[in-house]
Amino acid sequence: MSVFVTSARQEMLSVRRARIAHLLLAVFLGMVSVSSIIGWVTTTTVTKVYDRILADELTTAPNPFTSIPALYYARNSVIYVVLIGALMAIVLGVQATLRDRKSATTSLILSRPVRTTARLSGQLAGLGIVILTVLAISTFISWAAISIITGALLGPDATIRLIGFAACAWLLLMVFAVTGMVAGIYSKRETTALLVPFVLWSALAFVLPQLGTAARPVALLNPVPIPLPTGGYFDLVSAITGPLSVTEQFKRAASILLQDNNVTGDPLLSVVILIAFFIVAATVVVLTPRRRLRSALDN
Amino acid sequence: MTVAQKELLDLRRDRLFAVLVSFLTAVTLISVAVGAVAFRSQLDAYNLYVADVAASGSGVAPAAPQLFPLQLLRGGIEYLEILGALFAIVLGYGTIAKEKHRGTLQLFLSRPVSRFAFAGGKIVGLALVWLIVVLLITAVSTLAVVTIGGGAVTGTDLSRLAIEAGFVWFYLVFWTALAIGLTALTARLSTGLIVALVIWLAFVLVIPQIGDTMHPDNQVPGGLFAALQIKKPDELAVLAQFAGFDGIRNGLEVSSVTKHFERLSFAFLGIKDQYNQQPIQVVWAAMLPSAITLTAATFASVIFALAATTRRTLQRKQS
Repeated sequence: MSVFVTSARQEMLSVRRARIAHLLLAVFLGMVSVSSIIGWVTTTTVTKVYDRILADELTTAPNPFTSIPALYYARNSVIYVVLIGALMAIVLGVQATLRDRKSATTSLILSRPVRTTARLSGQLAGLGIVILTVLAISTFISWAAISIITGALLGPDATIRLIGFAACAWLLLMVFAVTGMVAGIYSKRETTALLVPFVLWSALAFVLPQLGTAARPVALLNPVPIPLPTGGYFDLVSAITGPLSVTEQFKRAASILLQDNNVTGDPLLSVVILIAFFIVAATVVVLTPRRRLRSALDN
Repeated sequence: MTVAQKELLDLRRDRLFAVLVSFLTAVTLISVAVGAVAFRSQLDAYNLYVADVAASGSGVAPAAPQLFPLQLLRGGIEYLEILGALFAIVLGYGTIAKEKHRGTLQLFLSRPVSRFAFAGGKIVGLALVWLIVVLLITAVSTLAVVTIGGGAVTGTDLSRLAIEAGFVWFYLVFWTALAIGLTALTARLSTGLIVALVIWLAFVLVIPQIGDTMHPDNQVPGGLFAALQIKKPDELAVLAQFAGFDGIRNGLEVSSVTKHFERLSFAFLGIKDQYNQQPIQVVWAAMLPSAITLTAATFASVIFALAATTRRTLQRKQS
């Protein structure tokens, strides 16, 4: 069996045995499961609020929730991918590379005729399959929940859109999984290995978008987009930070795919940016020098 | 006290800690700067509008947007909420982990030390460290509001900032103590850290996010009631008829210590319009439940850390 396949299988087996990975996966799946229900309860209540306002003759504006698409109920999932999914991917990535360093099995593995590229790309593939499986389950749960809520099975168009959303989520989570792997390889301490990608995640998810849009960190956790300021500074800075804000690019692509009326345009550019991030990150990890893999932890 | 002093010395030499504090300070400065730029853009847009109104000779211009300097700290407070808690967890975990990794724990426990000497010393040491960090960040933030933000800070504002610094300190000590307790309880060190991170994820990010997302006004960009041109008294009257839904939503929010910290901060700094420019006594009266909850949660967390960090749990198993 090739090194690539063996490494991928070993990675999947390790995740299956790790209780902490189960905990994170359960939290992610649990939240995605309830997100459709939260969306439905909220929309139903807000429609009642609107009806009350209309009955009291306080407005003549149309109901903003008239004829919302079925996929509207899945919009909270976008945030859970950015929050829980990304952190889960980081932990899985860090554990993948740190495991060998902690147990000092790297030297043993590398004493065999093993190419580091095959070993690392195998581990990456293993993680990719794990994340793909989790997203497949969460997509099925969302599909079933929305079908139950709307009282009709989701049609082919909505189903394809949901799958497209899962594909974008996979790309984003793989970017963070790879970041975790890199941190696991290069960090001298276990704490640093976990912390550095978390700090990077917070910079990508909160700081970069704030620089170009003045969006506050907590506001970025709401699936409803914030009204963007315009003007010299914001136009210039958002042109620079926008493409680098990978989580915002994911949110944009996902919102368009899930037919959120508040976000319009073509998701292609955002998807291309996600792919570019993934390729760069994967290249960095796969091309890790052999001697780097052998480096021991300080603790 | 020896343990606490050693902790202070260790952290003074720790580059990771220096990086974390620098990062936290930098993002606070960034948020003040971006907030100031956003306010100036708003002011420019207003001046342009007023000029247009004057040129056309029609109508009366609306009131100019007013800068309340402490409101520029909103982004910084949110960073402390999210990243401050994360760094506090890392610090709490690190203080136990380093003793186990270096093998100094066994040496320490071989001495005739009292039941709470180790955990108590660690908590006191880290609480002192956080006090210094909070004072530093408060000083830098105040300076940023005056210099970058161009706001005038009054004596009352300084009192508000001092009260806010106290809440930040309680909040950070809460997370550090929780991480110490969890790390001591778990056999594998990394498990303690990850469990603490899962709790952080749930109570700092997910639960407040659900509460925020469920609020009727947060359903459309710019706010539902603004989109429907509903005045505030009418909004409150309508929402009063959905008390059950709001009770559930609010119940979710108040189950998170982070939300109590946020409510306190936003009230005392006048970020929430309802409390802006209100006398401090009025804010205290309104915010007493949140202040009690945050204080109780911090004490509970410290007691948990003291109770969990025993000779038996520390020596149970090395990772």
